[in-house]
Amino acid sequence: MIFIALKMLLGDRTKYAGLLFGVAFTSFLVTFSASYFGGMMTRSFALIAENPQADVWVMDQTVMSVDHPVNLPAADLNRVRSVDGVRSAVPLALAQADARFPNGRVQSFQVIGVDDATLAGVPPLVSGETAAVLRLPDAVIVDEGGSSGKLATPSLKVDQWPRGRPRLDVPLRLPIAGDELLVNDTRVRVVGRSVALPRFPPRPLMFTTYSTAERILLPERRRLTFVLVSAGRGLDAHRLAARIEAATDLRARTAKDFKTDTVDWMLANSEDVGDAVTMLSIAMLVGFGVTGVMMFMFTNENLKYYAVLNAMGATFQSLLRMIGAQVALCALLGTGLGLGLCVLAGRIFEHYGFPFRMMWFAPTLGGAAVLLVSLGAAAFSVRSVLKMQPALFLAGR
Amino acid sequence: MSGRTMNGPGEPTRNPPAARCHGVTKTYGRGNAAVQALRGVDLEVRAGELLMLAGPSGCGKTTLISVLAGLLQRDGGECSVLEHDYMRMSLNETTRFRKRNIGFVFQSFDLIPALTAAENVATPLLINGLKRQAALERAGALLRMMGFDDRMLRSLPAELSGGQQQRAAIARALVHDPRLIVCDEPTSALDSENGHAVMGLLRRFALGKERMLVVVTHDDRIFEFADVIARMEDGRIVRVEKTPRRVNEPQRDA
Repeated sequence: MIFIALKMLLGDRTKYAGLLFGVAFTSFLVTFSASYFGGMMTRSFALIAENPQADVWVMDQTVMSVDHPVNLPAADLNRVRSVDGVRSAVPLALAQADARFPNGRVQSFQVIGVDDATLAGVPPLVSGETAAVLRLPDAVIVDEGGSSGKLATPSLKVDQWPRGRPRLDVPLRLPIAGDELLVNDTRVRVVGRSVALPRFPPRPLMFTTYSTAERILLPERRRLTFVLVSAGRGLDAHRLAARIEAATDLRARTAKDFKTDTVDWMLANSEDVGDAVTMLSIAMLVGFGVTGVMMFMFTNENLKYYAVLNAMGATFQSLLRMIGAQVALCALLGTGLGLGLCVLAGRIFEHYGFPFRMMWFAPTLGGAAVLLVSLGAAAFSVRSVLKMQPALFLAGR
Repeated sequence: MSGRTMNGPGEPTRNPPAARCHGVTKTYGRGNAAVQALRGVDLEVRAGELLMLAGPSGCGKTTLISVLAGLLQRDGGECSVLEHDYMRMSLNETTRFRKRNIGFVFQSFDLIPALTAAENVATPLLINGLKRQAALERAGALLRMMGFDDRMLRSLPAELSGGQQQRAAIARALVHDPRLIVCDEPTSALDSENGHAVMGLLRRFALGKERMLVVVTHDDRIFEFADVIARMEDGRIVRVEKTPRRVNEPQRDA
């Protein structure tokens, strides 16, 4: 009977293609939006990923995400360093600052002040130079941080530092070593552009040393945001984190746990999550609409033949199995097609710098959505089979 | 008035009735919209007999064969087919009974368009649980007996002529060796020549000592193929005519 069901399905190529399209569309859209969301979440903890040397991140008790820091007193760095099992502990400062470009344009940056001694966490430079260039006076490295066009600076000398009105509508280029910016009325010198991991939300980044950050940022009593700790040889990061918490009363999280905290915080607080859920719901609704209606039409147009089969002795259970087989085939092929398309589209999106990361849950979610949509479509179309009366078909009515 | 087929004096001995209905009633709808399709039908059909139900449109012929075939539950009266009363059987039991014992030839053939002729004919065998290959071989053998060649076996219904489609439909009704075959207007979609050919085929292949055929028709050109003609009017059988010459005709074992 399954053979008959599949031949019936494959025999009507237009509807079969429609069904496949509906399922593939659902699978693609759900997997794609989940992967896009996964990409955004991955970018939300880019700063943690950029500091692989840090086994444990130490912060204020109230910090729940890498992007919402509360600064610590400078003395906490030494308190952390004094904990048994800490091999090294370096400071990291995070802050927002507005920078004025030479043409007068103002752009907000996330300033990342790294340890002066180790320069740990500075991403590689486009020019190929090392992070040591940050040791030059007032040196900063700028990065687009997933944004685009926000680092544009005037190409021509005449448009730089003009008197009077800003020159916004002039030829622009990306900053190069030697360009200058004003941060809080302090002139800083760009020593290069880096290729940092893109951020979510996207924002321009300004890497500098901790001491330069202290000098160019508005004065605050507390400047230290995180203490990045490397564990002693053979010491488990979780145990060290617990030890630091017990000794300092600060919050200490392993890098992995801090990434999870950041994602959890985003899930709970970010409006983008709502957008992603809306997108997923629309994808499923459209998929259900297309697949459900096509499946219903297919079953309805074949109702006469289901009645003939029932008259010939096929039980309703057999007919339901037949519809189930048809739905299963469409679901399986459609999911495969959708996932394949998603991988292709993902490659293209990744190439153009969009956040896309297909993690394990994305195809799972896509498969679950297809299952749900297919079951719904099957239930929708099965109703008419269960209600049909073969005698009416015998009568030609 | 009710009709009953009986052996008259001097007539050859006939098989006992394999299907027997007495006072069968059936009403569609309720209240003012109620239509009484059967108003107390008495009918007997014997194995080895081709019974034609004739009468004007709307007189209840199709309802009666639907009741006989277990596709429709009667409202009242008694009816047993091969000693089974559908009223005492569950829906699944009735369906299983149809699977084993009843073959159908529908008015518009109703071959499944996506299946080849051989696959269509093999369908009742597949429903009865036969393996696909065996079912296709048996279906192919039967269709070849009916004049199909290899190309036609692999043809979709849309690629066959009306007569060929009807032959495939008849083969589908026969292939699983049922005891009762019901045919609803089997010649209505065919011209006179094809109609005669199809009825000849039905008599030749479908009739057997253990098998009975009930054919609904209002095509009087094919009455000559009947053993018994039961005429219906307004939900009742008003006259039963026997055509004895058919009774003595040599029959093919089913």
